[in-house]
Amino acid sequence: MTAMSKTYVRVATVWVATLAALYFFQSYFTR
Amino acid sequence: MSAIDWGIIAVYLTWLVWDGIRLSKNTTEIEGYFLASRSLPWWAVGLSVMATQLSAITMIGTTGQGYAVGMGLLQQYYALPIAMIIIAVTFVPFFHNARIFTAYEYLERRFDAKTRSFTALLFLFSRGMSTGVVISAPAVVLSVMIGLDVTTTCLLLALPTAVYTMFGGVQAVAWTDVKQMYLIVFGLGAACVALMLGLPDNVSVGEALHIAGTTGRLQVFDFSTDPSVRYTFWTGTIGALFLFLSYFGTDQSQVQRYLAAKSIDQARSSLFMSAYWKIPLQALVMIIGVFMFLFYLFTPPPMLFNRAHDQRVRESARAGEYAALEQKFSEAFVARKGAAERLAEAQRGGDAALAASRAAEFKAEEQNVLGVRAEAVSLVKAVSGDTTYNDINYVFPTFIVTHLPVGLIGLLMAAIFAAAMSTVAGELSALSTSTVIDFYRRWVRDDGDQAHLLWVSKLATLFWALFASVVAIWAAELGSLIEVVNRFGSFFYGSILGVFLLAIGWSRANSTGAFVGLLAGMGVVGYVTVNTTVAFLWHNLIGAVVVFVVGMIVSEVSGPRKPQSAVRAPAADV
Repeated sequence: MTAMSKTYVRVATVWVATLAALYFFQSYFTR
Repeated sequence: MSAIDWGIIAVYLTWLVWDGIRLSKNTTEIEGYFLASRSLPWWAVGLSVMATQLSAITMIGTTGQGYAVGMGLLQQYYALPIAMIIIAVTFVPFFHNARIFTAYEYLERRFDAKTRSFTALLFLFSRGMSTGVVISAPAVVLSVMIGLDVTTTCLLLALPTAVYTMFGGVQAVAWTDVKQMYLIVFGLGAACVALMLGLPDNVSVGEALHIAGTTGRLQVFDFSTDPSVRYTFWTGTIGALFLFLSYFGTDQSQVQRYLAAKSIDQARSSLFMSAYWKIPLQALVMIIGVFMFLFYLFTPPPMLFNRAHDQRVRESARAGEYAALEQKFSEAFVARKGAAERLAEAQRGGDAALAASRAAEFKAEEQNVLGVRAEAVSLVKAVSGDTTYNDINYVFPTFIVTHLPVGLIGLLMAAIFAAAMSTVAGELSALSTSTVIDFYRRWVRDDGDQAHLLWVSKLATLFWALFASVVAIWAAELGSLIEVVNRFGSFFYGSILGVFLLAIGWSRANSTGAFVGLLAGMGVVGYVTVNTTVAFLWHNLIGAVVVFVVGMIVSEVSGPRKPQSAVRAPAADV
């Protein structure tokens, strides 16, 4: 796996984590 | 505003112009002027890209949106990181290896001059108009807030930007963008802290956010599959994916930035800065709107935020009616404030049933406030004749000038100026590049005389600055024009992306297929826009798919493409 490929995986991972955090934020404050 | 705040804005504008020109290096050749001699570090390009996207419309319009309806708009940005990965793998190496100045140059190498000129012309027209709107929208608001006429505020935004862009080229744009981005983020952070500190002592930030949650303002995921709903998870991840691919992959105002990076990997890294930070930054902008809503639950807001219209109604024959509405609004505010405090108290107590009943009570009081405001808006529309009246863009500037301390007002106003100017500078530079490279050098004169081309480039920057200023002043008088211009952009964004996808993704595509496909894509999007209620983010997907499919079919039918000096596929690793 090249360095740039690892960066792509990192970007995708951070994306999923960001959306998950936002989903948690919505769920927590709208319950 | 106080003299200190005016002083801060004046010092900021003067320093910006001086610094922009001072930092310009190697601008004796057009590669230096347009692409900074391909020497910029990734972080400067990344911040510049983000500054260009974050316009004053975002600062005042998006915060207003957060105030009025909440954070649903955030979903529009969910596809951005994925779009960045796709662009990093596909467009970036193609463009860098091609050693081009504009994205449209690539289309001539791949197809023909006609396709290049047509797409460049679409870019020039739409971007020229939208640059006017980028100036006009904040200029209208600022003119009301700081008491200057709208022509003056349009020129205050456009002229300093034109000066440093014209003399400094893309280096001036990029390095001033970096500093403007710092100011914008600092300003947004300061506003957010001030709003949190402005909440009453008996309501914590968490309790306040729970109150916002009961109104639906914190809904950042809507899984509705109704295609007419503008912002859903699906429009944000599928429809907007095509919008971002088009914007970052084919729009000269973005492509030019990463062409100025030192290498392919530096260009990719610059895009990943947006991939990491765009959603959080946009969330910060929107949560400021939500905090303004919460702040004005406990601090009396003006019934209407546009002071000019407010004053007009007070001086009209229906002033008595307006005063009665203000009294009613004041009573509704007090009732809603009490309901909000009781809701916070119930949440603190942990009794779920009580909290639910207090939430219902609060929502009913909120509806009362909205009902009175709606009556006031109808009155304004009747008195002013402005049937499109909408004051959400005035909420954030009103908060700034009425509730922030001296000094911070000037900084925040300077941040709004910075947001507008960074966007305008990037677009002027891109407009000038495309004018000179795609038209002047291509069709008029290409003798390699750098001094002459540089002179024409500066003249083109000045021309587009004047064009945008005229559009801005005109748009300020015809408010509805802004919407027309915005819709015009989404009319062909997807179609242009389709042409590039065809160029890169279908090796047997020819110029006839590309051109017919482009026209077909624009035609179908035009039909969908006029005859259906399909949300605009889907138009990008529709345009791209139609161009690709029609282009493919026409290319197959009309025969193999002519031999061209086609751009080699990238050798760099992905």
